[in-house]
Amino acid sequence: MQLKQSLLIAAALSIISITSWELYWRSQGYYPTLNDEKALWAITRSKVEDATKEDVIILGSSRAYFDIQINEWEKLTGKQPLQLASTGSSPLPTFHDIVNNTSFNGTVIIGVTPGLFFSTTYPEASPWKRPQSKVDFYKNRTYAQRLNYQLSVPLQKKLVLMSADEEEWSDDIDLKSLLKGIQIGQRSTDPIMPPFYNFGDVSIPRNIKMMERTVTDTAFANSIIKVWHFFGKGSPPPDKKSTMSFFMKDLKRFKEKNGTVVLVRCPSSGGVRMGENMGLPKTDFWDELVSQANVKAYHYEDLEQFKHLKCPEESHLSAKDAQYFTSELAKIMLNEGIVSNSKSN
Amino acid sequence: MLFNSLSFLLFLILVLILYYTRLFSWTNKKRMLLLASYVFYGMWNPPLVILLWISTLVDWTAGKKLAIEDNERKRKAWLILSMVVNLGFLAFFKYRDFLLDNFTTVVNSYGYGYQSKPMDIILPMGISFYTFQTMSYTIDMYKRQTERAKTFLDFALYVTFFPQLVAGPIVRAKDLISQFYEEKKATANQFIWGVFLLTIGLFQKIVLADTLLSGTADTVFGSDKLLHGLDAWIGTIAFSGQIFFDFAGYSTCAIGIALMLGIILPDNFRYPYASLGFSDLWSRWHISLSSWLKDYLYIPLGGNRHGIIRMYVALMVTMLLGGLWHGAAWTFIVWGGLHGIYLILEKLQKRYVPFKITAWNGILLAFLTFSCVNITWVFFRSRKFDTAWNMIKSMFYAQTEGAKILDTFTIVKVSVLIAILFLCHWVMRDTSMKDVSLKTKPWVLGAFWGIMVFLIVIAQGSGEQFIYFQF
Repeated sequence: MQLKQSLLIAAALSIISITSWELYWRSQGYYPTLNDEKALWAITRSKVEDATKEDVIILGSSRAYFDIQINEWEKLTGKQPLQLASTGSSPLPTFHDIVNNTSFNGTVIIGVTPGLFFSTTYPEASPWKRPQSKVDFYKNRTYAQRLNYQLSVPLQKKLVLMSADEEEWSDDIDLKSLLKGIQIGQRSTDPIMPPFYNFGDVSIPRNIKMMERTVTDTAFANSIIKVWHFFGKGSPPPDKKSTMSFFMKDLKRFKEKNGTVVLVRCPSSGGVRMGENMGLPKTDFWDELVSQANVKAYHYEDLEQFKHLKCPEESHLSAKDAQYFTSELAKIMLNEGIVSNSKSN
Repeated sequence: MLFNSLSFLLFLILVLILYYTRLFSWTNKKRMLLLASYVFYGMWNPPLVILLWISTLVDWTAGKKLAIEDNERKRKAWLILSMVVNLGFLAFFKYRDFLLDNFTTVVNSYGYGYQSKPMDIILPMGISFYTFQTMSYTIDMYKRQTERAKTFLDFALYVTFFPQLVAGPIVRAKDLISQFYEEKKATANQFIWGVFLLTIGLFQKIVLADTLLSGTADTVFGSDKLLHGLDAWIGTIAFSGQIFFDFAGYSTCAIGIALMLGIILPDNFRYPYASLGFSDLWSRWHISLSSWLKDYLYIPLGGNRHGIIRMYVALMVTMLLGGLWHGAAWTFIVWGGLHGIYLILEKLQKRYVPFKITAWNGILLAFLTFSCVNITWVFFRSRKFDTAWNMIKSMFYAQTEGAKILDTFTIVKVSVLIAILFLCHWVMRDTSMKDVSLKTKPWVLGAFWGIMVFLIVIAQGSGEQFIYFQF
């Protein structure tokens, strides 16, 4: 058996094919990015264990994730917040985890995306299951998983082919995603979700910025808008009663620990905003939440600084606008004494 | 630590460097392998290494006493101690909640209104494998069928040897411990063949099981709808392929890694989906477990030495317990029971309606066996009986009204892949990968190897756990 010869041929073929694959996708406009993984969320979550009264945690869905930029916040307050907001998620499971499983009593900014905040408390429903799976991962992660992530980060930063996001974007280039893109007719009677492309760049410490393409390429932005409309049409009615009741219990406990909660409604625009106005009117949902919670709350429509902001894909701010939104929000909260500047202190 | 992870790749490179460095004596290399094995296991959950230590210490002591003790009562006492500790671990960590649930159900059926609270204790990875392996040593020592391990280091390494620690093959003491007595070093060909086997194993796991099949099986078995017959069949054969590639992939990796160290592990799979009947299946599927069950359960229960009825009872009990070994749930027991029924029916057929197997009827028989195996997988994969029953109804009533949840491409993809799997097993059933590779031109083997590496890299995988780790 001439195994050495086979090994050499295999090694040569592997190197040539993998290099060609990498170069091909780069020629298609791909560039190396980090995946938005549970492991990265867990690293940020672990920092909560040592966080102090002066620390700020951001919870919520993708709007709080895209719109509050941690470096911009740090510039103004002197302290980098811990970004724990997650795409497609209700903030309730994460807030519940922080209130009940940590001694943290600093400031928690909760981004309120009405369609997700008031969605459900059913553990198997996607807006609940997604953040809960992150909480569970943090609790159960093994040392091997921690090491795997540390080893994968340099590869993700250097190689385009390391693009297998947990979100399973339609433009991921791992084998499973590529095969998923093949359609032959329509057999299932269930409506088919439009392609959902990645539109954010993740960085460490955990932060996400809207890709520039979303601002400059209208067709691309429209493809994302189609997805929001698809979700809007298919989502079940809100469950205001149980979500409010669940949140209020944790809020009460957090206040007893001397913690501070701030509610923030980040901008949305176009058809998404219209849909929200119809399905989850501000007076019935936001106003009632603020009144019951009795905490500081900022709705972008109530503040002059934010009224002009437009979301390129109707739901999240561009990187530039997110910086502006973050700095203005931080200024407001500094002025009102909700957060302090640790540098000047 | 999972074979399909970056941390394992780093771990393996470090182990190989230390193993082949000339700095260490053979004893120190074995110490290094033992330490590496504990690190391999501890990277998952460090405190549970203590269970491995207890199991090792108890069986080492029992084996030592059994080697020198002549008093039969005392010998039996040492055997019982080993069984109590090992089966006690299994009962506590694996079957406790299952037993408690069933106890509660029975008690409450008499109107006691008893409330039990599951303890929700973590299941130590691979506990069923290493407890069976250590027990085999003590039982063989009791039966005077194996030599006592020469040193504690050899025995501890036999229990903990990382390539096969968490999902087998379950190796007998006489086949592995003796390999640790003399210095082992892989030849160049052995080493390269080991790398090839590791590549094949990872390809089976990452590309075939996780990328091409698991999603379909998860979608179908996770659905709460009554499915269209086609969807139910496709989901079932997808799982059939997934579990084979997942488990055979693990075993192939284990054999390859051991070979890179110059250690030879036995085959665990021999193209089982081309089996001609169920006796043949169990000599080809998870061979190390089926031979364990045969030697330590079926034969002690009487085997075929006490008449036909007793043999059928022994067969059924063995298969039911084999089912329970896989998981603490009634669905696994039904899975074992179905295999028991198949084996009994096959024995009846051989006795009353014998026929000669030819090349022509052989493939039909293999296909019939494969189809019957698929039905058992429905119970193995379903978390609840309701799901299994709905699947069976869909598969046999051919529900045209059932929900169509799979797209056409998925149906084509799974059907083609499983057809190729079946035909490959049929072609390979009387040969081996080694024999085929000897007849293959080096450049063809190299090209095949290179394509596998490329597909592994572009599939990436999300570090999915091997299915059998939970058993």
